[in-house]
Amino acid sequence: MYRGVSLILIAMLLACTQEESRESTAATEFAAPDTLNIYTVNNPLAYFAERIAGDRAEVSFAAPPDIDPANWSPDAETIIEYQQADLIVLNGAGYAAWVTNAVLPRSRLVDTTSTLADRLIPIENAVTHSHGPAADHSHSGTAFTTWLDLDIAIEQARSILERLIRIRPDNESEFRQAFAELEADLRAADAQLQAAAENLGNQAILFSHPVYQYLERRYALNGYSVHWEPDVMPEEADWDQLQAVLQQHPAKIMIWEADPLPETTRRLADLGIECVVFQPGGNRPLAGDWLDLLRQGIAALEGVAAM
Amino acid sequence: MSGIFYLAWRYLAFNRWKTSILVGSIMLIIYLPVGLNVVVEQSGEHLTARAEATPLLVGAKGSPLELVLNSLYFSLETPEIMQYSEAASIMDSGLAEAVPLYVRFRSRAQPIVGTSVEYFSFRELRLADGRMSAFLGECVLGAAAADALDLAPGDSVVSSPETAFNLAGIYPLKMKVTGVLERNFTQDDHAIFVDIKTAWIIEGLGHGHQDLAQPEAASAVLERTEDNIVANASVVQFNEITESNIDTFHFHGDLAEYPLTAVIALPRDQKSGVILMGRYVDGSAASQILRPRDVVDELLDTILTIQQFIVAAVIIVAIATIATAALVFLLSLRLRRSEIDTIGKIGGGRWHVASMLLTEIVIVLILSSALATGLTILTWRYGSAIIESFVLS
Amino acid sequence: MIEIKDLRFQYGEGDFCLDIPHLQVKEGERVAIVGPSGSGKTTLLNLIAGIARPQSGQIITGATDISALDDGAIRDFRIETIGLIFQEFELLEYLDVLDNVLLPYRINSALRLDATVMQRARELLTSVGIGDKLDRHPDKLSQGEKQRAAVCRALLVKPPLLLADEPTGNLDVMNKDRVLDILLDYASDNNATLVTVTHDRDLLDRFERIVDFKQFLSDSRDGVAAPGQGLDE
Repeated sequence: MYRGVSLILIAMLLACTQEESRESTAATEFAAPDTLNIYTVNNPLAYFAERIAGDRAEVSFAAPPDIDPANWSPDAETIIEYQQADLIVLNGAGYAAWVTNAVLPRSRLVDTTSTLADRLIPIENAVTHSHGPAADHSHSGTAFTTWLDLDIAIEQARSILERLIRIRPDNESEFRQAFAELEADLRAADAQLQAAAENLGNQAILFSHPVYQYLERRYALNGYSVHWEPDVMPEEADWDQLQAVLQQHPAKIMIWEADPLPETTRRLADLGIECVVFQPGGNRPLAGDWLDLLRQGIAALEGVAAM
Repeated sequence: MSGIFYLAWRYLAFNRWKTSILVGSIMLIIYLPVGLNVVVEQSGEHLTARAEATPLLVGAKGSPLELVLNSLYFSLETPEIMQYSEAASIMDSGLAEAVPLYVRFRSRAQPIVGTSVEYFSFRELRLADGRMSAFLGECVLGAAAADALDLAPGDSVVSSPETAFNLAGIYPLKMKVTGVLERNFTQDDHAIFVDIKTAWIIEGLGHGHQDLAQPEAASAVLERTEDNIVANASVVQFNEITESNIDTFHFHGDLAEYPLTAVIALPRDQKSGVILMGRYVDGSAASQILRPRDVVDELLDTILTIQQFIVAAVIIVAIATIATAALVFLLSLRLRRSEIDTIGKIGGGRWHVASMLLTEIVIVLILSSALATGLTILTWRYGSAIIESFVLS
Repeated sequence: MIEIKDLRFQYGEGDFCLDIPHLQVKEGERVAIVGPSGSGKTTLLNLIAGIARPQSGQIITGATDISALDDGAIRDFRIETIGLIFQEFELLEYLDVLDNVLLPYRINSALRLDATVMQRARELLTSVGIGDKLDRHPDKLSQGEKQRAAVCRALLVKPPLLLADEPTGNLDVMNKDRVLDILLDYASDNNATLVTVTHDRDLLDRFERIVDFKQFLSDSRDGVAAPGQGLDE
């Protein structure tokens, strides 16, 4: 009884700290604006959102064009812009680490790989830590260029579709139609990649950077990743290491994120390795859209596969 | 008539102690029920308004009143803890928007409210100065909190430690103030708003520290295996999130199991609200859902009952006080016999004497009423500020 | 000024009875009334002032038969015509000296209190030597100062008749003379009638006529003695 009385007194005292009453809202009616404002963390997701939402949305992707969005950290003002978006599309899988430490509206976030946890590829040789022997470990991290597995890409686009329908149920049929067209394009590209991969068979392939895990897995490529930058001439030690790798993994193709330096290309050619550019497309291309970029990459792969 | 008033006034002024006691007693009799009514009505209005503005509240099973007081008024009493997975579940259901709350910590007397961005649009809170929080470790102050702590955007605020002597306890986190909200005359004015993750960092569930893989951290390593480093207690943890160390901040374990004190559920429509409530009906869920308005209505009924008891007691006291005052008056009439005789002899009639005595009573009543009215007005106008300083000190 | 005819007054159910067949006081006369304690001297003053009502008889003051007036008329008559001075001063403790002197003006609507009256009160108090104590309450005054204040209260309305009941009874020798001087000077200066009840034999020779109340207690009539002639106790 004493506890009850003290709670009542606390309630009265606390309530008297107010001076005015506020109008109430019995249920929240979401008054969506006419044009949706969508922010994404990378270019593929921006492309998917643009294809599905069409004129119903204005899609923004705030990373500067010369930066890999995966490693980009926005400033406070940019994060505030994200906060004000109607929908924030995340890649998940640890992509854009800044999201972890940023303040974003959870109700307007869609993590496009949240339902695909079992299909994410953990980073090899990652070292976690814990505080005390029995404590929880920190997270080891996953590979995050998930859209290179076009089947996953379709699921990511589907997440966007479902969220858009929830926001704008009146436009469901429109969104579904647009998604169907996008899915058809992605399935076609997937089929092309499958065919190219079949032609490649079990041929050893090198990847210039460990960003092709999902491509490798989906299309059963026999790949090995080094850590070379297209605009940086590898050190001699790197070349030596490559030689060692080639002993076990005699690759004739090296897939690059962007055109390597001519010197690098020439030296690789001396080793019998042909450079193929397959841009992951994290950021906006200089020309065309993400699908154009994908098709360019597929074409390049088809080219070497046919040889 | 002015002569009678003058004499009555002089008598009262001369016997100031007796007059003060009489005026004070009668003033209290008038003020107590009226002032109480003002307080009860004001508190009722504010409780109701705040509760009405909050459609549904989800919390761990326990006292509904504690849940409502902590979630709506940021009271010191922390309700039973629930898991973040509950908020995620509500969000994923599509039935309602879920606004998580973790109201446990304080910075001096100001409550630290861990929540999400949606809270501000829900409560229609607007910035008066600065910007909203963008990163973990940043906070936005209510107007009254900013005044009380004398802080502005760019300053820092430190969370209060829960204990000074528990080595395994919760240590202070220094947070950067990025903005101050406009005053909206609710409990939100007194709060320090942080992102829910920042609240978890204050709790110690998330932290930042030196990179254990680096040679400098060797002394903080207890054990090292191929895929894991076990840190010992000497690892230096940061008590402030800055631009240079923010990337080191991380959380261990599953965020779904992280604690919340409540979730404000904002149903998309009436039907969704009913469906959502139906999920908690069978009682098997570990959580409860309630309409804050229902809890407050019940509370107000109880307050009303208490008020009635108090008023009844005051009436009894009033009767006793009036009887005592009447007795005092009659006794003083006896003592004033000679004065009354003198006035009669000099030329004052019975009517004059009666008028003078009656005027004294009227003056006392007017003074009592005026004081009671003044106190009531002060209660209505400033009671909240006084009570606030009393409650939050 | 005063004529009493066949006055009869009895206190309640008691045995005491005041029986005055005839008593006359001329206008401007200064009369001392003496007699044993309890003989009704104060009662007589009360009857003359209209404070008490006789069972029978007539009291004519000035040209007014006050025994025929109602209570309200008597009060108005008293306050305008008669100045009363009491042995116990009867000042109100919660009023200062000035307010005590102005009291008649505050309790009777027939009198109008204005700046002239207030100035006259101040002058009166100054004339009796307590002009510097206007804001003091009675508990801060000496006995003599209290009685002088009470006298000023009686004199403020400029009454043609002064009734003083043992005005010097509680005073020392110096103040007795002082107070009596004030009363006699006023009576002399204003041709006012002064009727004083006193036990103080030393003051009797200052009065024109002495009325011995013994006569009203026995069969003897017209027991009026000239000043200095002495009276039987």
